Amino acid sequence: MANQRFSQRLYRWLDDRYQLDDLLHLVGKKYVPLHHHSLWYYFGGVTLFLFGIQVVTGILLLLYYKPSASEAFESIQFIMSKVQFGWLIRSVHSWSANLMILSAFIHMFSTYFTRAYRSPRELTWVSGVLMFFLVLGAGFSGYLLPWNELAFFATRVGTDIAGQIPIIGKPILEFLRGGEDVSGATLSRFFGFHVAIIPALITTLLVLHLAFIQRQGMSVPLGMEHVEVPEEKRLPFFPNFMLRDLLLWLIVLNVLAILAVFFPWELGKKADPFASAPAGIRPEWYFLFMFQTLKFIPSKIFSLDGEVIGILLFGVAGVLWVLVPFLDTKSSRGIKVRGMTYIGIFIVMYMIAFTILGYIL
Amino acid sequence: MDAFHTKRRKNIFLLLKRLLSILAATFLTILSSSHTYAVAHQRTIQDQCYACHQAMGDKPGSLYGRDIHHKIGITCAGCHGGDATAEDPEIAMSKKAGFVGVPTGNAVSEMCARCHDNAEFMKSYNPLLPAGQYAQLKGSVHGRASTVANEMVAQCTSCHGVHEIAKVTTPASPVYPTNVVRTCARCHSDPTYMKKYNPALRVDQFELYKTSVHGRRNMEGDPKVAECASCHGSHDILPAKDPRSHVYPINIPETCAKCHSNEKYMKPYHLPTNQYEEYVSSVHGVALLKKHDTGAPACNSCHGNHGAVPPGVQSVSNVCGVCHTLNAQLFEGSPHKKAFDQRKLPECEVCHGNHGVQHPTDAMLGVGEGSVCSRCHTLGDTSSGYQVAKVMRLMIDSLTNRQGLAERLLKEAEQKGMEVSEAFYNLRGARQSLMEARTAVHAFDLATFKDPLDKGMKIANQAVLDGESAIHEYYFRRWGLGISTLIITVLAFGLFLRIRQADREWREKQRRM
Amino acid sequence: MPGFPPTGTEQRRSFLKYLLGGSFIAWLVAVLYPVFAYLKPPKVGEVEVSSIKVGKVNDFSPNSGKVVRFGNKPAIIIRKPDGSFAAFTAICTHLACTVQYRPDLGLIWCACHNGKYDLNGKNIAGPPPRPLEPYKVILKGDDIYITREA
Repeated sequence: MANQRFSQRLYRWLDDRYQLDDLLHLVGKKYVPLHHHSLWYYFGGVTLFLFGIQVVTGILLLLYYKPSASEAFESIQFIMSKVQFGWLIRSVHSWSANLMILSAFIHMFSTYFTRAYRSPRELTWVSGVLMFFLVLGAGFSGYLLPWNELAFFATRVGTDIAGQIPIIGKPILEFLRGGEDVSGATLSRFFGFHVAIIPALITTLLVLHLAFIQRQGMSVPLGMEHVEVPEEKRLPFFPNFMLRDLLLWLIVLNVLAILAVFFPWELGKKADPFASAPAGIRPEWYFLFMFQTLKFIPSKIFSLDGEVIGILLFGVAGVLWVLVPFLDTKSSRGIKVRGMTYIGIFIVMYMIAFTILGYIL
Repeated sequence: MDAFHTKRRKNIFLLLKRLLSILAATFLTILSSSHTYAVAHQRTIQDQCYACHQAMGDKPGSLYGRDIHHKIGITCAGCHGGDATAEDPEIAMSKKAGFVGVPTGNAVSEMCARCHDNAEFMKSYNPLLPAGQYAQLKGSVHGRASTVANEMVAQCTSCHGVHEIAKVTTPASPVYPTNVVRTCARCHSDPTYMKKYNPALRVDQFELYKTSVHGRRNMEGDPKVAECASCHGSHDILPAKDPRSHVYPINIPETCAKCHSNEKYMKPYHLPTNQYEEYVSSVHGVALLKKHDTGAPACNSCHGNHGAVPPGVQSVSNVCGVCHTLNAQLFEGSPHKKAFDQRKLPECEVCHGNHGVQHPTDAMLGVGEGSVCSRCHTLGDTSSGYQVAKVMRLMIDSLTNRQGLAERLLKEAEQKGMEVSEAFYNLRGARQSLMEARTAVHAFDLATFKDPLDKGMKIANQAVLDGESAIHEYYFRRWGLGISTLIITVLAFGLFLRIRQADREWREKQRRM
Repeated sequence: MPGFPPTGTEQRRSFLKYLLGGSFIAWLVAVLYPVFAYLKPPKVGEVEVSSIKVGKVNDFSPNSGKVVRFGNKPAIIIRKPDGSFAAFTAICTHLACTVQYRPDLGLIWCACHNGKYDLNGKNIAGPPPRPLEPYKVILKGDDIYITREA
């Protein structure tokens, strides 16, 4: 009872200054359509939640991590063994990164298949895909920060591949590495990318992405909207859908804790730049399908370097992916282009198959 | 030809000689068939070369009568070529007859080798005689080029003699066991000569040898004891640094054992013959013979080479101390040194043994069963030895146990996935302390002993703590997870109910609208 | 008074409110407690200097040596009297004790059984049967690195 009176008084105080009533009224107007595919709506929220986890655990790690080649590994060893609950923070951060990328994949493909990118939501798609690339970049840069053997060589290989791009490859490579080879300078750079630049860019895009959604509401899957979603087939965002979101996030949090305790993230051996690479170096799972594709491409295709062709193809594919809404204009007119579905299925199957191949070969 | 040496006289003389030869040959053939030397070919009874030179009285002529080759019927021509049947020196020593004069350089040994390297041929004289000495000599250190001319350092004749070669088993031979030492010393004790070949090579072997047990008995005429050839070989002598040499460290135990492990051979000397057997299974033996660690001692390391003699009772710790310096130093400052020397006890050997020395274990320390201290020290003896031994053992045991506990705990923590690499690293210090303590035992003094032990105990205790806290942390995490999951479950349940409530309200609102 | 006595629904509502509120507070504690414990600096305080970068050239005067941690094993780095650096494993080849540098003897010494190594790591006295495995010393500017021979 006392709380209520206090919260009421607080509300009054803020309302007097910021006209909260209007805002709350808007919030109350948000609805989430209910249909067979409503389940997919949750994945955007889960990705957002995991991003929040990354920011919080990342800030905590920042308090003990030392971004120099001679201290990085030891500082993480320190966090894992000496800092209270350091093991928890670090393992959660590593697991959550992977789960976030997985969740982002699912979110991205679910919006693709439901054609959520169609007009008027083209920019939502574009900002989302750009965020996805940034998240992959965060994964790549963060992976190096423990300065362990696997990460060191994976980074060397990854930046080598970037360096293969014709003409601009070398400048890109040197920009990424902070020099010609992977060194302490690379670590400093990646630290900057991972902790400041990429989060800032993601946040900017995220604000836009959420603003667009707030403004335009949730998209209904193509094929369902010719029947106007009736009132009973929708749920108020607040509190109904939001509570569901919270429940799911709570479960995801518990899953992270279980993973951190039973499958603690490994540290491995400290990187030795002067040693030779151990056998079987490969990138993290989310890059594996591309890595495996490059391994399969023959070294020469019509006297052109096979690897460069592969990299360029992926580059082109990435650009096309960003521009999907502008390529599938028919969807804006309510026509479901079967071809897009097939392309999408092919892409998903390809990614899964080559990821598996990357592990078993 | 002159007036005396007419052709007719010559022919008659020759005829007579021929008849006599045939008679004698037949006679001697019958005689020699029972002889150990089987004759497979025609022998000249009369060595004309020898007959003449002996009559002349020159050195070879006066010596050759004693030579074994002469005794078995080999003429001067056998080595010098020419016609031994010819009286006439011009025919006898003519190039046409194959006379080569006095062979020099390697031609000497090659001449010997013509027969002595031919196994078939040698068997016809004595099946027991070896063949192939020349080949061996060529491959040996004496087969190397000498500083004068293009020939080997030593020829067969250098050691065996030239015209008075005796069987090596007879005392007349320069290489008979009691003579060979002096034969070798002719060169090897001459510093001016040896300097030309290896200035770093010692030249006092003979002098040292004379002080050794082997040397003294050899001087007294005993042919059974070791002399130069017994250890170094005869024709196949190689430098001691050559792994093929009989006196290369890894080969030395076997070389000594040739005699010293032979019970029958050693019987007259009343010496034990189990040293080699013991040595092979000892720490030193395993190190040298199995692990090929040439830093490990062979027989000569403790007994000496040429001046070989078992170390005196009061010198044992000096000898062992050549390698085990720290232990020897501590021992020499300990109360045991005076006590052992007074009782004529052989220092290190008393506790560690000599040839069969094994890895020392903690079981040797203390007053329990199998300990070496209890052999002398008993409860209530006047020295504090019993107490000291007992306490030392207790302390070492407690550190060993603590270290073992720490290792087990840390291993368990590691298996559980906890980060304990630093604790393992620090635990090395405990192991090191144990080693230092085991060395410090040799001071037989508690104060010296306590130092490394206390240090080690501190380290081990810390490691135990680290291990325990790591394991505790493991369980804490699981408990923590369990409790958190419980809380989350309750909260989730609460949320679930709240959702149901919100949905109900929404449906009601919808109905009302 | 409306709402009195409390109906079934209202009873359920307040039970739910307490359940939700209570478990939420418990959850908050379960989340914030680790965070605050994390923020408290541990007793050791700082991360130890790595094993690979050993320090700066000026930290070592000629005829001095230091044992450092190289991965999980000790290594010894020495500065010879002529100013040059050398590094070896600090594990004695006899029975794996940790060696140390003796400036008074001008060589590397093992305390366990008086083993001695010269400044090239060669075993020169005592029981060690083999020389110390050498490591490569790399000088980058002012910093000294040691690495296992590739």
